[in-house]
Order: sequence, then C-alpha cells, then structure tokens
Amino acid sequence: MAADAAARPPRRWLRELARLDALDLALRLTLLDLLLRPIGQREMRPLVLGLAAAGLLLPGWQRSRALWAALAGLTALRVALDWPLGDNHAWLLAYWCLAAALGLAARAPRTILAGNARLLLGLAFAFATLWKVALSPDFRDGTFFRVTLVADRRMEPATRLATGLSPEALAALRARVERQPEAAPGDAELAPVPTRLARVADLATGWTLAIEAATALAFLWPGRRAAPLRDPLLLVFCATTYAVAPVQGFAWLLLAMGVAQSPPRPALRLGYVGVFALVLGYGALAP
Amino acid sequence: VRLARRLRWLPVALLVVVACAQIALARRAALSPWVGGGFGMFSTTDGWGRRQVRAVAVRPGLRRELDPTRVPPMVLLRALALPSDRHLRALAERLAAQPTRDEGPLEAIELQVWGARLDRETLAPRGVLLRAQSVRFDGR
Repeated sequence: MAADAAARPPRRWLRELARLDALDLALRLTLLDLLLRPIGQREMRPLVLGLAAAGLLLPGWQRSRALWAALAGLTALRVALDWPLGDNHAWLLAYWCLAAALGLAARAPRTILAGNARLLLGLAFAFATLWKVALSPDFRDGTFFRVTLVADRRMEPATRLATGLSPEALAALRARVERQPEAAPGDAELAPVPTRLARVADLATGWTLAIEAATALAFLWPGRRAAPLRDPLLLVFCATTYAVAPVQGFAWLLLAMGVAQSPPRPALRLGYVGVFALVLGYGALAP
Repeated sequence: VRLARRLRWLPVALLVVVACAQIALARRAALSPWVGGGFGMFSTTDGWGRRQVRAVAVRPGLRRELDPTRVPPMVLLRALALPSDRHLRALAERLAAQPTRDEGPLEAIELQVWGARLDRETLAPRGVLLRAQSVRFDGR
C-alpha cells in the first residue's frame, strides 16, 4: 500500500484499475456506455441518463437492484416501442440490464453475471456468424463488403486508405450503388469493381467470419479448454472491428460484458479498459 | 432472492427465442435481417434503408401514384423493415388520410415493397419485389 501511495499518479491509477472487482468494473462500463451513447427518444432519454449518472456518481447505487431493474425495464420498453426497428445493440443491452438486475437480486451476483455474460456474448456471436455463413449469400460471396466499403460514408477514410481509390472514383462507385434499381443501366454497360477493392472486400469478409466464428466457439465451448482464448478474441474483435464500424455503443457493451466474465487478472482488466478508451478514441477521430 | 435465482438464465433464453423468431420472420415475412434482435446486422445489403415502397391510390377510373414519404417516418420505416399486414395497413391508412384533389371514393391503396440486390461484379442494383398488397377502403 505504501508503495502504491508513493507511486506516480499514472502508475497508481493503473494499479487501482487492475485491482477493481470485475462486477463493479462491468457495471461501471455499462453505465458509462449509457452516458456516452444515450438511448431512447423524448421522455425515456433523460430517465436513462439520470439513472446512469446516479449509478456512477452516488455511492452504493451502482449495485442497486432497483436501478438495474429500472434500466432493464426502460431498455426493454425501448425495444418494444421501436419494434421492429431496434438494432442488435438495443436488444443485447436489454438482456444485459436484465441479467444485472437478476444477478444483483441473488446471493451470488458475480457468478450469475459472469455466466450470463459468457452465454450472451457467445450466442450473439453465434447468431451473427449464422447470418453471415448460412443465411446471407451476399455476405459469403463478398458482395456485402464491396457495397459497404463504397456506400457507407463513415467508412470513407478507411476505404480510401485500404483501396487507394481517389475521392472521384469512390464517388462514382457510390452513385452506382445508390441509384434506384429501375434507373440503373444494364450490367453490360458497367465496368467491374476495381480489383483492389474486391481484394480488400474479400479480406474483410474472411477476417470477419473467422474472428466472429472463433469468438462464438470460444465463449460457448463447454469446460475450461477454450477459456484462455475468450478475452483475447473479444479484445481483438473490438479493437479491429470498431476502428472501421461506426457502432461505438455496441463495442462498449461487448467490452462491459466481457469484463464481467473475465478471470481476475490485472492485465485483462487493463486490456478491457484500454480497448474501451481506444474505441472512444476511434469515435473522436472519426470524420 | 429465490425468484432471481430461478430466473437467472432468463436473459439467455430471451436472446435465443427472439433470435430464432427473427430468423423465421426474415425468411417468411421479409423482415430485414438488420433488425429484429437476431444479430443479422452487417450481414447483408438488405437493410431497410435500401428498401422502397411504391403506393398507388385506386379510385373509379383513376390510379394515382402516392408519395409514401409524406406519412410519419416511423410508419414508413416499420413497413419497410417488416412489410407485414399490420404495418402495410397502417401505412395505407396514413396515405388514405392525406389530402388529395382526386375525386371519387377511394377503393384501395396498392402497396409494393421493393428491395435491392446488388451485382457482385458491378455493384449494379436490381429491384426485387418483397411484398405486394392491396388494402381495400371500399369507397371511403
């Protein structure tokens, strides 16, 4: 302790962070996610923001059953009111808040939250993989990334860097993708997509399938054999995917859930907080 | 405490049930895989934002194409994301309530929801009809 007190602030903060309880850190990161990416419309948004701020600022509120029950109710209500438009993040957040409420109401909150976090993460990645591998032919054949790299303006810097396309060439391809189907000329009149764009898209397709399938397997594999792979895979997924995918809130939720199921190792705590901050940085640097 | 312990796997069960229902709805009712809680985001180009609705008001001796973007956005977005009977009926009701200079009783509003499939080599879009429905108004 004396050595800690004498250490310079950055080192001392890192030590304190590494010692944080997994449950507390997971709940804090979830509340931070809610503050940084407020959810819901009109009346709901201030309520969620108020609860998240109270959970972070008021002593004892972070582990309050009532707070998490209220957040579970509000996040579920948001999904119901928005049906069918709620995205993956909205659903997963509602399940996670419910898991927190149930866990904090039980005698062994750490066990319940860790179990739910592991299975929710594993299943979310498993269903995402199922969609990409079996249910969406246009993902498997690379069309999805060819279109997304061109059409999603938020990915423009990454696309230009990876493909070497000029702003004009990218704009021309985007106009082609965004044209109304009936206004599009026949395929014979159009040149194929540039080879480098096709290669980058194929690489992105393969990488996404590999990392998501591996993460699903690591989290769902019974027993301890795959356990050492879980945290590194999730951290690599978040650090790489959200550098280009503009869905910070989803990344933060995955990381909060990841912390809850991670073994008590300081390096892992720091890894999760570090990637949380990295994703925050991606957002700050985004155009 | 006992209830919480009994319900401890409820979030996991809900995820599985909702995700399976989402897959069924996407296969049978043209739900966009991007929504509905099945983790199909970033798996297909068939997002609701790439879909379109075509609407035609049918009166005796007259067919008039309508602008579906004149209705409240959520009504249109729901019909695009999940073109179910309920969502198409709600859209038709809103379109029927729009002021018009056309005379004669409104017999029906014909709705078509179109998606776009993109060619892998050229990225040229091709329209795909996802759902067509005529909502009858019987002379309103």
